[in-house]
Amino acid sequence: MDADLDIGLSASLTEAALAPGDPAIAILAAPSPWAAFWAAFRENKGAVFGLSIVAIVVTTALFAGIIAPHSPIEQFRDAVKAPPVWETGGSWRYILGTDGAGRDMLSRIIYGARVSLFIGLAVMSVSFVIGIILGLISAMAGPLVDVAITRVMDLIMSVPSLVLAILVVAVLGPSLTNTIVAVTIVYLPRYVRLMRASALGELGKDYVTAARVVGVGLFRLMFFTILPNCLAPLIVQAALGVSDAILEAAALGFLGLGAQPPTPEWGSMLADSREFIRSNPWIVTLPGLAILITVVAINLTGDGLRDALDPKMRRS
Amino acid sequence: MLAYFLRRILLTIPTFVALMFATFVAIRLVPGDPVETRMGEHGITPERLAMLRHQLGLDLPVWRQFLAYVWQLLHGDFGTSLSTQQSVLTEFLTLFPATLELTFFAFLFALTIGLPMGAIAAVKRGGYFDQALMSVATVGYSMPIFWWGLLLIMFVAVDLGLTPVSGRIDLIQYYFEPVTGFMTIDALLSGQSGAFLDALHHLILPAIVLGTVPLAVIARMTRSSMLEVLSEDYVRTARAKGLSPLRVVGLHALRNALLPVVTMVGLQVSSLLAGAVLTETIFSWPGIGKWLIESIGRRDYPALQGGVMLVSLVVIMVNVLVDLLYGAINPRIRHGR
Repeated sequence: MDADLDIGLSASLTEAALAPGDPAIAILAAPSPWAAFWAAFRENKGAVFGLSIVAIVVTTALFAGIIAPHSPIEQFRDAVKAPPVWETGGSWRYILGTDGAGRDMLSRIIYGARVSLFIGLAVMSVSFVIGIILGLISAMAGPLVDVAITRVMDLIMSVPSLVLAILVVAVLGPSLTNTIVAVTIVYLPRYVRLMRASALGELGKDYVTAARVVGVGLFRLMFFTILPNCLAPLIVQAALGVSDAILEAAALGFLGLGAQPPTPEWGSMLADSREFIRSNPWIVTLPGLAILITVVAINLTGDGLRDALDPKMRRS
Repeated sequence: MLAYFLRRILLTIPTFVALMFATFVAIRLVPGDPVETRMGEHGITPERLAMLRHQLGLDLPVWRQFLAYVWQLLHGDFGTSLSTQQSVLTEFLTLFPATLELTFFAFLFALTIGLPMGAIAAVKRGGYFDQALMSVATVGYSMPIFWWGLLLIMFVAVDLGLTPVSGRIDLIQYYFEPVTGFMTIDALLSGQSGAFLDALHHLILPAIVLGTVPLAVIARMTRSSMLEVLSEDYVRTARAKGLSPLRVVGLHALRNALLPVVTMVGLQVSSLLAGAVLTETIFSWPGIGKWLIESIGRRDYPALQGGVMLVSLVVIMVNVLVDLLYGAINPRIRHGR
């Protein structure tokens, strides 16, 4: 926050000192927020590496239909449990081999990127939006509402994430949609608490008082005056929230409570892979590797985001 | 001090009430009439159905049902499992030691490796060790532990044959009645030679799998906490006094760096229990997590609901304990509120 203030101040000072149209302005003026952000982000090599992997995964997910050599759910009965190309007996037809039902592993993993990213983004956006609204209401609507919302969030946090998700899925029934609902409920408290805490911090500041004195309406005060000043930590949380949601959904899939077969979801691809541990290890190894790489990449990007957006949260 | 303790304990009461309400509502939302579910597919006469519904109090108004449910819970009645006809509390208490033992060893693994690693990384900040460790920590933090467990079983247990694949002890070689429910302690009590080591042997892989994420979190946390402490004046003073580096880092810095780590350790209990569900499923570990998953498979909703309730109670109590502990070691917290 302090750093932002400095940049803003120096920018206005330089502008005041120079006549408009002076070519020095172009050099001296503070860089655009995007350029400043990118410059800070680029310093972190891990983050750039993570972001490029994320870009590859996103591209794979978007163009799965073009990239994937086969349909993700077609069962090639003549090639059940075919080994990957580098193993003896492997062929280029099924580069990463096939699973126990003869489905092409590579195609399933490629389409799985689509499913996992969709889950991650859906959970993140829904819990982000609802979390922001609840957090703002909690901070501004008076003690009774505040206590009610805070208690409910405490309650959600007191149930271990996966156990809560299991309960929700048990009540609603296992499916992709219900996985998203369950994981959204699990991750809602993070956003609510973060939003509430930063809003409470902002409420006492002069600019909020000034806005109130001027007579700004409650809605405008919440979403246009306070919210933009609280966004940095929320965005960081949202980025890391995508990877957590992907992991959680994969865990549900692994337990047979998430996306149902034949949906090519990375977690559910591992669900009954235990029987292949001895005979066909690639069926076990590959989907998990896809999860790990994606989650690591998103986490690296999130760490970079944090360092770039929120110098206070930087962990040295 | 006492006021702080009391306030902290009183604050959990609304959470308890909300928890009871939530599990009560969850029971209502489960599709299917509980009586018909219990009777199975054979079907029963309408008179008998009405009688059973009356017996279970299902013909009362909803608010009275809720009060009755709260009354039951306050008397320690967490419902009866449909599949075993045993009290859910009894089942929970029988299985909980297995989960507790697993989480204890997972935590031991995470702490004994995570703390020194984080501390060394902080001291050698920016060096190769630091960079390597932080990369490994990022991978550990991102690990899908169900897959990690399968991999370890594949390489360590099956290919190399170094550890058992599943279970808590070799049941063919060793058998003894459970006394405490903790296999390691029971093995010692049984006096059978080799039983204790066998129990430990069975714990290695599950503890590593469950401890991986906490290990990464603890290492990262210790490192950043250490970095902060190392730049404090009292550390410089200790150095200036001519104390050995080991003494400065190990005694003066680490002790103070531990404070935030303690809080985090408390917060990890909830995620450890979540991880236990996966770990127990992979290693056929007969604990709470596996039991909950199996309850879903058997559509044993009373067991599931009672189990979730009890697990949450454990988490709430641990969090209160950690808060109290934190208040006890950090006076600033107590006086702040």
